[in-house]
Amino acid sequence: MEALFTHWLTQNLLVLAGFSLIAWMLWSASHHERWRRAWLRFRSDRGGIIALVVVGIYLILGALEVLSFPTKSGGTRTVLDLFVGGVPAEKSYSAPLATRLLSEAKPDPVKATHLLGTDALGKDVFVETLKACKTALIIGGLTAAIYIPLGTLFGILAGYFRRRVDDLIQYVYTTLASIPTILLLVAIILVLGKGLGTMSFALGLTAWVGLCRLIRGETLRQAERPYITAARALGQSHWNIITRHILPNVLHLVVINFVLGFSGIVLAESVLSYLGVGTPVGTPSWGNMIDSGRSELSRDPMVWWNLVSATVALFGLVLSLNLVGDSLRRAFDPKRG
Amino acid sequence: MISPNRALALIFCASLLAGCDNNPNPPPFREKRADGSPWLVRFSGLSEDPREFDPQKMYDQMSRRILEPVYDTLLEYHPMKTDPYEVRPGMLEEIPKKEVSAEGKISYLCRIKPAARFHDDECFPGGKGRPVLAKDVHFAFQRMCDPKVESPFLSNFVEYIPGLQEAHDAAEKSGKFDYDAQKLTSIELLDERTFRLHLSKPYPQILYWLAMHCTTPVAREAVEYYDGKEHDGVTRPDFRKFKAVGTGPFRIAEYVPRQRVRLVRVEGYATTTFPTDGFPPAKAEWLQQFAGKPLPLVDEVNFSIIRENIPIFILTRQGYLDGMGVNKDAFGAMITPGRELAPKWRARGLHLEKDVEPATFWISYNMDDPLVGKNRKLRQALSAAYDAQTYSDIFYNSVAPVAEQLVPPGIAGYSQTYRNPYGFNLEKAKQLIAEAGYPNGIDPKTGRPLEITLDMVAVGSEDRQRAEFEQRCFEKLGVKMKISENTFARLLQKQDTGDFQLSSGSGWGADYPDPENFFFLFYSKNMPPAGKNISRYNNPEFDRLFEQMATMENGPERLEIVNKINAILAEDCPNILNFHKAFYSVVQPWAPRTQDNAMLEGGVRFATVDPVLRAEKQKDWNRKPLWPLAILGGLVAIGAVSAVRINRRRNA
Amino acid sequence: MLSYVLRRLLYAVPIVLGVIAITFLLFNVLQTPQAAATLVLGPKASQQARAEWIKNRGLDKPKSEQFVKHVKNMATFNFGTSWKSGRELNEVFRTGVGPSLMITIPGFLAGLIGGVGLALYQVFVRNSLLDRSITLWAVALMSVPTVVYIIFLQAIGALMLNYFPASGFDWRGLETLKFVALPIIIMAVVNLGSDVRLYRTIFMEEITQDYVRTALAKGLSSGHVLGVHVFKNGLIALITLTVGSLPALITGSLLIENFFGIPGLGNVLVLAIGTGDQPVVMASVYLGSLLYIASLILTDICYALADPRIRLS
Repeated sequence: MEALFTHWLTQNLLVLAGFSLIAWMLWSASHHERWRRAWLRFRSDRGGIIALVVVGIYLILGALEVLSFPTKSGGTRTVLDLFVGGVPAEKSYSAPLATRLLSEAKPDPVKATHLLGTDALGKDVFVETLKACKTALIIGGLTAAIYIPLGTLFGILAGYFRRRVDDLIQYVYTTLASIPTILLLVAIILVLGKGLGTMSFALGLTAWVGLCRLIRGETLRQAERPYITAARALGQSHWNIITRHILPNVLHLVVINFVLGFSGIVLAESVLSYLGVGTPVGTPSWGNMIDSGRSELSRDPMVWWNLVSATVALFGLVLSLNLVGDSLRRAFDPKRG
Repeated sequence: MISPNRALALIFCASLLAGCDNNPNPPPFREKRADGSPWLVRFSGLSEDPREFDPQKMYDQMSRRILEPVYDTLLEYHPMKTDPYEVRPGMLEEIPKKEVSAEGKISYLCRIKPAARFHDDECFPGGKGRPVLAKDVHFAFQRMCDPKVESPFLSNFVEYIPGLQEAHDAAEKSGKFDYDAQKLTSIELLDERTFRLHLSKPYPQILYWLAMHCTTPVAREAVEYYDGKEHDGVTRPDFRKFKAVGTGPFRIAEYVPRQRVRLVRVEGYATTTFPTDGFPPAKAEWLQQFAGKPLPLVDEVNFSIIRENIPIFILTRQGYLDGMGVNKDAFGAMITPGRELAPKWRARGLHLEKDVEPATFWISYNMDDPLVGKNRKLRQALSAAYDAQTYSDIFYNSVAPVAEQLVPPGIAGYSQTYRNPYGFNLEKAKQLIAEAGYPNGIDPKTGRPLEITLDMVAVGSEDRQRAEFEQRCFEKLGVKMKISENTFARLLQKQDTGDFQLSSGSGWGADYPDPENFFFLFYSKNMPPAGKNISRYNNPEFDRLFEQMATMENGPERLEIVNKINAILAEDCPNILNFHKAFYSVVQPWAPRTQDNAMLEGGVRFATVDPVLRAEKQKDWNRKPLWPLAILGGLVAIGAVSAVRINRRRNA
Repeated sequence: MLSYVLRRLLYAVPIVLGVIAITFLLFNVLQTPQAAATLVLGPKASQQARAEWIKNRGLDKPKSEQFVKHVKNMATFNFGTSWKSGRELNEVFRTGVGPSLMITIPGFLAGLIGGVGLALYQVFVRNSLLDRSITLWAVALMSVPTVVYIIFLQAIGALMLNYFPASGFDWRGLETLKFVALPIIIMAVVNLGSDVRLYRTIFMEEITQDYVRTALAKGLSSGHVLGVHVFKNGLIALITLTVGSLPALITGSLLIENFFGIPGLGNVLVLAIGTGDQPVVMASVYLGSLLYIASLILTDICYALADPRIRLS
């Protein structure tokens, strides 16, 4: 099963599917009045547009790392490798654009120019940072794929049906939220084993609570509106009301929550690395680079390029996401800008 | 109403004023001694809290470091003699000699020095300490047999001292150890200060166990007084946890959990003195000034508990710690390629000390595993593919020597010239793996690379790097090495049940300086979960030779057998040898080391310090630049001016 | 009001039970008693010692019996002793609260004051370039991982400038401040970004109200209107939103405490998870859930007090 999932053809198809999904969502959104109005407002916000472009760049980088094709010798290479993959690994540390290794004992000449230097095992830091895009995006994406349906579904159910259903769902998420996130994350990952999948699962399990509460609040407000009562009176089924009336009106909150929450998820990865339940060995990730950077800073000469590179990359993505989220919020509700 | 901005600035300045110095160390207990000479303090670091102060129970490094100055042992390692290690009398008057009775029974006659005393403590009548007596040694052994004490040492003695296991089992059945009724006959009390230790079989290593804290005498009054229960409204500390009534040159003055431990000298300590012989030639002249002097040389020792490496390095640079081990990250900062201290630090007056610990580390094979356990050539091939030198280069700055044999340097049987026949040799490895039936690492049955799993603990970023390195080594042969990451607990569990193929990070540090302590790990009667033979190595020839050499005295005959054992282990390859533990320490100019014995845990009682030099250097190394404050003030000013400007513009 | 609070407290009981059950399950799945014994006693311990250790702690009894005993202990706040250090947990928590609060309360206040100050300042210069750049800078502040803040500020404040100790903590009267100065600054900075944005939203909402127009028309200066009226009215919304985070202050930030060697509560939990110290984890989680529920109740009460329209049924 795992072999099928990691096969290069499947991965390429998934990337294509992902982009098509985004395109379809945009196209269907353009047919809704509320979304069209929001788009007009968003368009005039130059800061938001720039941030959106930056996010797009990250997305493309990540996709390039996933898209792969078979090579003659039986392995696979990713499209990103085509552009930057040819850089050989050194023995150990070297500074950005340096001509020699950092080691004072054996300052051998480097085999190639490294834009941002190399890390402890000699890997090019610039290439690692680019490749780690994929890890961040996958974690964010998978986690979103878990927590968004969960949060939205339970939020709407709780807010719409109220009474018993609401009580039950409130009980579940209050209990879950009472357990310190760290413990829950560490426990789940230790039990299920390390891996991008289990990390996303654990993060998703802890993230859905926030969204659920938000959606529940909004659903409560929506359900009070007269047109809903009218729909019930006319005999519309619950399912119809939820999907046709409630869901479209809470969707904007979902999008904003996703965009803002995504950055939190990516940041969480660095904390998990510090705690020892980060991505598995060999996976390029910003969290791992920051974690190793911690002790590298006190070396002399100081090895700062690992930490700074990962921080800047992470910062760029998170900042852009936050700005986009802010602009979206302003676009949907200009008074509360 | 004060503007919030101004309030913020005020708080900042107040905190700055209060934080005028960056010295984290507490002020010492006293300024001067009773005779007017300065009160000497040493500042060290611990990387973790100690686990307990109970000598029959404690085993971890931190507790040992604190208890070594507080509890004397019957014998002790000579602080300067390290090649070979030697014991000298501690609380005993002389090193006991082996006596064989007419019936062939082995025993050791031991006499305690009259000067050995317990510290003054309220558990004794009148609060005054009393001399150490033979019954206290007997009591210590009784405690090891007490199930409630949970002593991890009992199993080391049961095979050699009769009556211990029976006493333990009886206590377990009855639910309580009766210290009055259950007497141990193997510790025969002859008079107040003399006792005879009876053994059931020859065991010359018993002398080393008398140098360990599990056999140190403890006062029954102390154990019974400090029971952890409430008396007259006051809860007494628990002797089994954090209360020590010792016999050494220091007592524990303060333990603030997660912060520090402070030791203070004991007046009138006279059991041992600074050695008069065995000085290494390089330091002999300087050490002569301390020869025969009463211990300890300093009055107070402050151990700060610092968990992270970076603060330890920072504090040492600032002069607030008297020394530190040079960990991997500080290494690049401090050591030159010629393995000397970098000029910047030498100019400050720091010294570099190089230590080798009697420990070896390796990757274990599981000999019960159908793939690696039954295919000797495969094991040899993987061993020859493993580049231990580069591992040491990357992770230990080439300081840790590659292990060519199981026994580490400093232990009898170690040979500097011996080379592991299956050490790193990639060509040989490729040949071997072809001979093993997997040419180029391909499994002929499936046509794909052979898959092997390597289990390890992967908690920090460094563990991940090590795992990646090991993976890369083996994959040069063409095999596919899967890394299975575990918590420490999980890995131990897997090792107990045999659920692994290769396990990284195995190793052993010598309990005492004897090769038997290492070969024991591959003895077939030592299988997990009861024993430590993780590799599940089972070779009757090895067993026979092991039993032969285990209790022999050191000499050419023993050496011959050890060489034979080494040859067998090399061929059978139940593990892939990695490195011996060696590390560097830097020592401040005011706190030069008087001893380097790795079997001691710090040798605090022999430590010395020059406080005047220290104060001077600390001032020199901690100057405070003031320009950042100026910049901050400037920013606040700009903000205020802009606000006023904009407001004026709006109201215009 | 009282009946409302009581009802909420009653609701809390099944939640806390659920929390205890989940953590108990998680822990027993995570490691067997054997593994726990080996972890605590070390790999050199004998099988016998391990077996004794397990028996002395009642870990060989059936799980259901252990669970019942555990619930009883939690209910009576009898937390037992730590496996790793052997110290009484009540004492550990008691001594840990102080250092944690020494950092979190000033950090929270500094973040609050700084956030409110900056937000009011932003409203003062609203829609100008200064306003937008502050927002940008606030978002930027939020986008840096806490770990990076700690690393850099420790390197700068302690190592390069020698202002503050690099690590450690001690109760020493006024000198205690020097140990917590850097952690407080970091705490404030970490929270400042999100706080400023939140408070700005609140105060901007107030600006649009009619009473502001009236006050300005009456001739009051902008500064006065802002600093007094807008501030006071916004305070209500602010308190409601932030009071929920007060109980959590007790636990302290585990990253900051770990790095600076502060013996607080945040550190306790992380260390315990790493060393498999079950009693500590169970007790920490239990207390943590109690605090969380307390924060929820506090928030609800605040909402009800601020807006009488909300019915407390």
